[in-house]
Amino acid sequence: MAPGKKAAAAKGKRGLPAALLSPPSSEDEAPEEVSFGAAREVAETERKLMGEAARRHRELLKEKRRRRQELFVEQKVRSPLTPRFAPPPWPAAAPRPANCPLPAETEAAPRGRAAGAGRRAARTVRGPWGGTGGPKGNYTAVRLKDQSLTGLHQQLAKDFLNTQLYGPDTNRVQANEFFSLENKRDPVKKAAVQFVDKSWGEYRKSQSRSY
Amino acid sequence: MGEFEVHRVRFFGLVPAGVRCLACQPRGARLALARTDGAVEVYNFAANYFQEKIIPGNEARSVEALCWAAGDRLFGAGLGGEIAEYDLSRLCVAHSVDGGGGPIWSMAANSSGTQLAIGCEDGSVKLFQVVPGGIQFERNMDRRTGRILCLSWHPSDTHIAAGSIDALRVFNVSSGQTVQRIMVNYHVHKVKRECIVWSIAFLSSGTVVTSDSFGRVQFWDWERGTLQESHTVSTSAVLSLSVSEKEDSIIVGTSTGATYQFQLLPVKTGSLEKRWVRTKPFQYHTHDVRAVAHSSTALISGGLDAQLVIRPLMEKMQKKGYDAALRKFTFPHRRLVSCARKARLLLFQFSQHLELWRLGSTDETGKDGEVLPLCRMPEHLVQLKSKGPEHIYCSCVSPCGSWVAYSTASRFHLYRVQYKGDSVSVKKVPKVPKLLLPAYQLQFSADSGRLFIASARGSVHVLQLLEPGGCKHLHMFRPPSGCPDAVYLLAVSADGHWLAAVGGDWAIHIYNLKCFKHHCTVPTYNCAVTALAIHPITNNLVIAYSDQQLFEFSIPEKQYTAWSRMVQNSGLHKAWLERDSPITHITFNPKNPSHILLHDIYMFCVLDKSLPLPDNSALLMNQSTLKQLPETARQRQLHAFKICKKFQPLLFADLLDDNCLVMVERPIMDFKTQLPLPIQQKKFGT
Repeated sequence: MAPGKKAAAAKGKRGLPAALLSPPSSEDEAPEEVSFGAAREVAETERKLMGEAARRHRELLKEKRRRRQELFVEQKVRSPLTPRFAPPPWPAAAPRPANCPLPAETEAAPRGRAAGAGRRAARTVRGPWGGTGGPKGNYTAVRLKDQSLTGLHQQLAKDFLNTQLYGPDTNRVQANEFFSLENKRDPVKKAAVQFVDKSWGEYRKSQSRSY
Repeated sequence: MGEFEVHRVRFFGLVPAGVRCLACQPRGARLALARTDGAVEVYNFAANYFQEKIIPGNEARSVEALCWAAGDRLFGAGLGGEIAEYDLSRLCVAHSVDGGGGPIWSMAANSSGTQLAIGCEDGSVKLFQVVPGGIQFERNMDRRTGRILCLSWHPSDTHIAAGSIDALRVFNVSSGQTVQRIMVNYHVHKVKRECIVWSIAFLSSGTVVTSDSFGRVQFWDWERGTLQESHTVSTSAVLSLSVSEKEDSIIVGTSTGATYQFQLLPVKTGSLEKRWVRTKPFQYHTHDVRAVAHSSTALISGGLDAQLVIRPLMEKMQKKGYDAALRKFTFPHRRLVSCARKARLLLFQFSQHLELWRLGSTDETGKDGEVLPLCRMPEHLVQLKSKGPEHIYCSCVSPCGSWVAYSTASRFHLYRVQYKGDSVSVKKVPKVPKLLLPAYQLQFSADSGRLFIASARGSVHVLQLLEPGGCKHLHMFRPPSGCPDAVYLLAVSADGHWLAAVGGDWAIHIYNLKCFKHHCTVPTYNCAVTALAIHPITNNLVIAYSDQQLFEFSIPEKQYTAWSRMVQNSGLHKAWLERDSPITHITFNPKNPSHILLHDIYMFCVLDKSLPLPDNSALLMNQSTLKQLPETARQRQLHAFKICKKFQPLLFADLLDDNCLVMVERPIMDFKTQLPLPIQQKKFGT
């Protein structure tokens, strides 16, 4: 790698403009003659290239922004509280109030969450359209009791602790490896502490069981 | 020693919980310890480091900080956001107060023990007043973002230093304002992760000591906001820190299991300028050391490998003796196994369930040391799961194997177990009489007709067990002079005549079960009782104390026996007294009335009262030498203590019938692989 680097550096040096490499005494000389047309062409092509690059950059940003907007719209549509289903293809007004708990639930749920009280039974409501009328996918209504604030805070705290102590940066190692080191370094070598790893073949076993 | 067929049991899958917090009582000889499963224990240093109180944990409770306040009161706080005061007489949570700041990461009491400061998840430090009967919210300090992971009061109680993520803050207690904020990660180059200040201490000279996740111990001048000294002790995090009372020695614990001592030493002998120097490294743990404490004479560390290590400091010891020995505790000083002798069943007590096993059997015999093949394997018969988050206090199985009882903090369960051929059915006994729960110890009578329940305030309840599956409350015994603590040990005589009970005040009361009256009290001894048993034939009560003394008290005569007086006069052997773990179970051999069988974690002993006692010049563990001697020489060297150290660590040992022993072992490596992951240690050549 080092010789390659040196070669590249040397090449780069050779690629430096002549003006920088020339000895200082040659600064008194005038720059070389270039015709006006040639210079104008060079400047135009440069400008065009820059314009192209900037346009491409702008298009890329626009594309990214458009994609993000779509994602947000999709997520908003996919939220469990918003009515998932498009209005029915038939203009039947009668079945709606009786069979559609969703709008009421939507309004009640944010209020309920804010108040910290209120429980809704968990239902996967498909609506009178059999789940085929609206955008594809499922949603589940969850019980507010299961998402208590204390439990959430405690979970966040535990997650923080876990990431700090057992996260990606920590130098943790499997217990088998840790304790078997002495067995391997002894004058009389012994087997590892967990000689047979019980997780071997778990995937295959579970596959064969599902048969 | 005799010839025994030994059932060597290693299928008790006990995984002790790691040590999370330690707190030394400021002017006492006690250590409070909290585990990762929420259990809180109190060790009494004066009673030979005996684990005198255990408050079982709770799934919903996590303890992140523990402190003593107002003398004898113990407070704990955890990620549930509540500050709980522990009632050490009734071994439960006395009351709890919500902190109001989300999960609580740290708690510290001021030097006079009148105020508690807690550091919360939302970045606030709150002050609570310790009042008789509870604690009261006083006020909030200045709140900033960043969870407060550690707290320390200045010894004069004027300032509090708090460590959080990437910074440490100093508060003025009276105004509540932040008077200094020091960025801790300034000196770390090219690292993108945050610097977590895991623990902090405020010295009276105005120096703040911090330990952080980059493995550094740093000394800061809080008024100027400058770093005085920085020591990198490890590549992994330094999780805990504790300063001695004289402020000349600090112990720190790291994630790799190493602990280090820092001492304030003069730069040159005789010079006045002192500097902190890292003096002693110790590697006693294999997993993270999340709790350390510094008592006046010892360095104490507790790790996630469930070990509590007490390292006395040589320079603080007056004489070289057993007092200066290193102490390591992994297993509890209580029995977690009960045995149904006649039915050959073992009941294992876990924190949230019980397992009932039937022992295997063999038809063959062999020579000394041979392993015999089993004709029937040990069988896991029943698993009883306890409902709810509370952990189990105590459990017991009757000698015939048909009754199982256990108790949690708020519920008591009694089950009838029936064996029909190969199948086992368990039925709950309804309408158990209402008792003051929890039950701290359970014991069935020898004929499985009665159940004795040890309860609060020194009382013992007697339940009559009725066929086919019912019970009736017969009587409640109370000690005559009253006792604030709960009974923690029970012993019943084989003829069902006598009951012995020990309470937290270490007084042994003996009750007469025929006329339901208090019979007598054993003379008080200044040490905790660790095991108790009544001889089936002579009705002598054999008592083992935590300082390894043995006494034999004759119940009918209400006085110590002649053998016991002889033992006290000649004294026990030095090697016997210098054992690390207490005796947790005493039993007898009905065929040999002069034998007493006892065990602790590292040895099993058959004590033969008919043989002479060894003096200090004789070898105590002489079984292996005796085997090699000819018969005549053997007779000269025989003494009363026949000790076997083959089975270690021993959680339970009992005699099933005249030639059969059961030994329940729990090898340490068997559970170490189930603990949280350790940090990789680079070893040369691997």
